Amino acid sequence: MVASAICGRGMRRIMARPILIMPVLLMPLIFVLSFTGAFVSLTRVEGYGTDNVFNWMAVYAAMQGAVFAGVGGASTTAEDIENGFFDRLLLTPGSRVPILVGTMAYSALRSTIPTTGVLLVSALGGLRLPGGPLALVTVYVATAGMASAFCLLGLAVVYRFRTMRSMILIQVCGFSSMFLSTGQVPIHFMNGWLHAVARVNPVTNVLRFARQGFLGDLTWTMTWPGLVALGAMVAVAGALAVHQLRRLTA
Amino acid sequence: MGGNTGARFGDDVVIEASGLERTFGEVVAVDGIDLAVTRGEVFGFLGPNGAGKSTTVRMLTTLLRPTGGTARIGGHDVEKSAADVRRIIGVALQDASIDPLMTGNELMRLQAVLHGISRSESRSRGAELLARVGLTGAAGRRVATYSGGMRRRLDLALSLVHEPSILFLDEPSAGLDPTSRLALWEEVRRLNSELGTTVFLTTQYLEEADELAGRIAIIDRGRLVREGSPEDLKSTVGSPTLRVDVDPVFLESARRVLVGFGPERPAREGRCAIGLDGGAARVAEVVRALDDAGVTVSHLELDAPSLDDVFAEATGRRLEGAEQ
Amino acid sequence: MTCSPKRQAVASRGPNSEHPTVNAGAATGLRLAGVQTLALTRRSVITEWRQLGNVIPGIVFPLLLAAVYTHQFTRAILLPGFPVVDSFLDFVLPASLVQSVSFGATEAGTELARDIENGFFDRLRASPCTRLPLLLGRLCGAVVVAAAKGILIIAIFLMFGTEIAGGPAAAVVLVTAAVLLVIAIGGLGQVLAILTGSQEAVNATFPLVFTSIFMSSAFFPTNLMSGWFREVAEANPVTWIIDPLRRLILEGWSWSDVGQALAVPLVISAVTVTMAVVALNRKLSSS
Repeated sequence: MVASAICGRGMRRIMARPILIMPVLLMPLIFVLSFTGAFVSLTRVEGYGTDNVFNWMAVYAAMQGAVFAGVGGASTTAEDIENGFFDRLLLTPGSRVPILVGTMAYSALRSTIPTTGVLLVSALGGLRLPGGPLALVTVYVATAGMASAFCLLGLAVVYRFRTMRSMILIQVCGFSSMFLSTGQVPIHFMNGWLHAVARVNPVTNVLRFARQGFLGDLTWTMTWPGLVALGAMVAVAGALAVHQLRRLTA
Repeated sequence: MGGNTGARFGDDVVIEASGLERTFGEVVAVDGIDLAVTRGEVFGFLGPNGAGKSTTVRMLTTLLRPTGGTARIGGHDVEKSAADVRRIIGVALQDASIDPLMTGNELMRLQAVLHGISRSESRSRGAELLARVGLTGAAGRRVATYSGGMRRRLDLALSLVHEPSILFLDEPSAGLDPTSRLALWEEVRRLNSELGTTVFLTTQYLEEADELAGRIAIIDRGRLVREGSPEDLKSTVGSPTLRVDVDPVFLESARRVLVGFGPERPAREGRCAIGLDGGAARVAEVVRALDDAGVTVSHLELDAPSLDDVFAEATGRRLEGAEQ
Repeated sequence: MTCSPKRQAVASRGPNSEHPTVNAGAATGLRLAGVQTLALTRRSVITEWRQLGNVIPGIVFPLLLAAVYTHQFTRAILLPGFPVVDSFLDFVLPASLVQSVSFGATEAGTELARDIENGFFDRLRASPCTRLPLLLGRLCGAVVVAAAKGILIIAIFLMFGTEIAGGPAAAVVLVTAAVLLVIAIGGLGQVLAILTGSQEAVNATFPLVFTSIFMSSAFFPTNLMSGWFREVAEANPVTWIIDPLRRLILEGWSWSDVGQALAVPLVISAVTVTMAVVALNRKLSSS
């Protein structure tokens, strides 16, 4: 009940001030348009995986939007801490963990906005679904998971430093984790240190899971590593966040 | 969950602290405080800025962990049973804890849900509380449009939504105009007398402590320096304070004369103050002695002992915000 | 006497005084304006230096992007139509430079907005500062920081094996073009600061600048783009700056490329700075 109240409050705030959602919605749209526009000829390179640049880039842009949504959820908490409202939330009777869960749920819900925006724009650009409607399911699951993970990571940072400025750490982390993966090209296009990093980056598995329906049929081989990666990211970030929440009053 | 009234605890003492301590690095903000507040009391915690009042409140309300000592609220340890403590307390902090993007109604509903109150009950209780603090008309507006006084009133209403048996108010009337302050005092008295709510109130305003509290603890630099009812505390000071304003050139002479009539007390520049042994009856004598010494007096006043005098005697300083 | 607000109470007769009541040796006219500009430049650079955390992203992010793209576009550079390069790193240098200086480019405007928001601007106005130094001081500060970043970026690229075919003179042109771009963006930021008085409004231009770099020839040649995006990229002034700079790096010295690379940002900065001066004059004469 506490978690759903916190989640509901977050959504109501967006409706009260829609401008809050603009960066989360606009930046992914700009990414999808810029990357599909600038890098359209990548599809001509042997082994790219698709002849439709939207089929590759749309998922990347949607997931980047999800990262922004996650960070945005943690930013709401940063704002609450700075203006004192967080004290009132801390006075909630019982365990404080539902506050965290509610914020995470709010971020996951928020991520549907940039995901839907990117998919709609990409559809106008010629996006296809070789894997059928299930392709959309994987994207939404992946983006909700990414938003949750980065929200929890952001909360861990915010509980520790208690300022809005500390969010820059997570923004950098989110941006980097997306860039150092198969966001724009398949892994066999990479060489050197980038190949090594992308191979171990959990985001690469998540992208593979989310993108599979846009490149072909869905398979369990492409699915389970992505789900494991998402689960692990949420679990680790969640543990960090809970730990910092407990230390908040120390 | 839900609301509860005052008579719930077996023990009479509902707020107790023993050796309560809080340090921030090298700084000792609260230095071993002992407290015992009984059920139904209005307890005042009086002290200047930076004395440790807010830090103490934050520890008692589980927002800050003590670095030493123990505290129990309603029989629950603030560290081991923090979640249980939060069920029975209402808190209005020094900076109103509200979200400017939400409306008054939305905040009341959120607060009610967080305390496990059903939606239907939260609506009626929220409306009643908002009416009581005079915010019915503004309830549908976003809090960002509220004045400072309105925010404080909303904060008070939020702290009462679950009918707590113990209420913590941290400098509740700071920044309020006199009318709003009187209305707040009325509300605190009503909560205490009609509902039996125990009130723990911190303030730096003498009149507030004097008016509301049945018992007062005076805190300075993290330590309790005096404790008792306002009357008992004032009677410890004994003599009334005589304040004499003189030209700077006569200051030393005036001081030499006055200390013969009682102990010196802190005063602002250009003024001498003493505790006048023997009271008002000796004023004429003082005036004659000053005249004999050739001191020209521009102003003279005699005040009954105040809490400020109590503080001054205990610490050698005046409380900020008190008249000197 | 420098234009120091601390000395204002001593120097001026009052808040509306235009002329300081100081010794007869005080600087006047153009020399005074120069001295004031220098003082404000110094203030601007010191402020920026103290917020080094703000400068670091502007160096790290473009370098990270360049490094990532170099290692993911090894096959893409073999596409027919792609300029002949040994590595994508050679291709991306001008983009990294432009991106790096764009990170701090709005700082001149943000600083001005901050000064307006917290009242320091009024204090400067009440001092014997003439109007132009109020703007130029900050722009010069941004220029100093941008030049330092530009030199650092080029040095790092050279360390990693990039060769500039146009030689050291081309490197100077690179830094100069980047610096002129900073003046252009900074001037725009200052216009917004004067018109809105809000840091938030000025900061909102950063995403715009960031996007316009992506929608240009910064990261891929326009001849390998298609459709409406190619038209947008080819019409983008950022492309008109990056393309000649890239030719200086890959092909060698050419006066026409030098001319284009410098003229485009010069014209834009002349326009935005003029707009800022006009806006400032209007604001000061109306209040």
